[in-house]
Amino acid sequence: MLDLGTGDGAFLERLVQAKGVLAEGVERNPRLVARCIQRGLVAHQGDIAEGLDQYGDQTFDYVLLLGTFQELISPVETVREAFRVGRRLIIAYTNFAHYLVRLQILFRGRTPVTQSLPELWFRTTNLHFLSTLDFREFCRQMGVSANRRACFNSRGEVAVLPNLFAEEVVTLLESARPQPTGTDASGDISS
Amino acid sequence: MQTGQELNEDEEMTDAPDNIVQGDLQDQRIAGYQSPLGVTRTHTVTLRGVQTQSGFTFDQVQVSYQTLGTLSARRDNAILVCHALSGTAHMAGLHPDTGRPGWWDFHVGPGKTIDTDRFFVVCSNVLGGCDGTTGPLSPRPQSGKPFGMDFPPVTIRDMVAVQAKLIEHLGISRLFAVIGGSMGGMQALCWAVHFPERVRLCLPIATCISHNAMQIAFNEIGRRAILTDPDWKGGNYAPDRPPKHGLAVARMVGHVTYLSEYSMTHKFGRALQPPVNSAAAEAAVFTIQSYLHHQGESFVNRFDANSYLYLTNALDQFDFFDGAPPEEVLRRVKARFLVVSFASDWLYPPPQSRELVRWLKRCRVAATYINLETLYGHDSFLIENPEFARVVRHYLEHEHRKAGFQEAGAVI
Repeated sequence: MLDLGTGDGAFLERLVQAKGVLAEGVERNPRLVARCIQRGLVAHQGDIAEGLDQYGDQTFDYVLLLGTFQELISPVETVREAFRVGRRLIIAYTNFAHYLVRLQILFRGRTPVTQSLPELWFRTTNLHFLSTLDFREFCRQMGVSANRRACFNSRGEVAVLPNLFAEEVVTLLESARPQPTGTDASGDISS
Repeated sequence: MQTGQELNEDEEMTDAPDNIVQGDLQDQRIAGYQSPLGVTRTHTVTLRGVQTQSGFTFDQVQVSYQTLGTLSARRDNAILVCHALSGTAHMAGLHPDTGRPGWWDFHVGPGKTIDTDRFFVVCSNVLGGCDGTTGPLSPRPQSGKPFGMDFPPVTIRDMVAVQAKLIEHLGISRLFAVIGGSMGGMQALCWAVHFPERVRLCLPIATCISHNAMQIAFNEIGRRAILTDPDWKGGNYAPDRPPKHGLAVARMVGHVTYLSEYSMTHKFGRALQPPVNSAAAEAAVFTIQSYLHHQGESFVNRFDANSYLYLTNALDQFDFFDGAPPEEVLRRVKARFLVVSFASDWLYPPPQSRELVRWLKRCRVAATYINLETLYGHDSFLIENPEFARVVRHYLEHEHRKAGFQEAGAVI
């Protein structure tokens, strides 16, 4: 498992301990890489934006982009690289079409600040803002299939109208190409 | 690993202190320097039947080495420290004759980066060196005269082959770790490839898989300075009349490449040396000039010019893969790696370490890589460097615990 933008490694450490996975993290900030080392993780200091050249093709079963996805300079390039080095990709992002976000824009006329988007526009590290529908279109254009998805808000899992009620979305992506069944990329997603 | 292990907040990264000591510790006179190890000694052992890569056979080789800490009953806590170009066997503690600290006293000792309370730490002077191990200064078996330039060419692999014999002599079949910076890093790499069963962890610091043109060029200036010194005499100089000027210039050039623009500006800037007399006042010199002169002069007193030629050649000739396909070479590796580089190191710049890491990872060797922001250039691994210390200490501690011989109840 490869965790891109692993931060201080707290999550990866839990994953390694709970699931016993063989994992490694990539992190740009040397101070955070030092924390990963302190946790005993295999870590690599590097900038995802510069590619994942250090890894061979199909090295990993899973590549994780959790909370990093919206900070990527080029999501297209990174997702492409992720599918080169790994078979499946797990992406987490914040849904920008959540109804509270919509209401804030509509009634306050300001860039929204919510529980899942806590920073003001000039402080956030996010470069991209997207909804579940946007993500579906992204997958379609990338030729990848989002086979499983879980949507959450502060109350738990969201079953209905996720594009309106989900705050956080976690998606499992698989490259459409090696799929023998050739599922339509958008086929399994309902919004 | 402990679940939910809390990271200690006072372990927050801090910058190195302002009054940081630059360069080799052994070239400094630091008022009131204390080493927790006190006075430490080196030993000498005679090893038999050493053949070099070039095909030369030494009937016997003297090796000067130091050991600190205690070898565990299972003999599984040994760390080999490999020194860099100008290093010695005396890695830590105070030298019995000079009273000066060993070159890595900042990082080797009780509770330090490499904890001598936990590990049995070995350091030996390299083959071709001049600190007690057989080198160009050693007497030939027949004539008793120094080898000089008749000494066979020495490679990094030759150095490692001698170290392997020493480790065997010490009754250690597998090293817990091999660690070294610069030339020491090359030795660590060589260990992982040529003695894969005998190395658990490999920690190459501020090093590369082979020298680039710039690194060879700087070495060539040093060598040229020695070779053109009239006192060099084809390498057959009298021990009391070595090519001092050439060697001093070589050291000055080398020393500059070990520093950084920041460290030089920070420590010297354009400060002027206080005039010694009125004549000196007219020709005021910058502090950096007199500092470099001092570095050159003090080096001449402890280093052999021919050794400098042999060791810089070994550095330039080093090629981790020796022309073989990297996949083939790295397939043999069993060790896990921690690769460290320093952002301010322009002599062994981070891309060289990244190239190493790239090969390791592409060949599925477990490698952690960190490029520390230390501002002090190539010397960053030699100086008191809390960031570096923390990373290496944590790595060793964690792997030590994982290896299952951590004393019960101990927590980092």
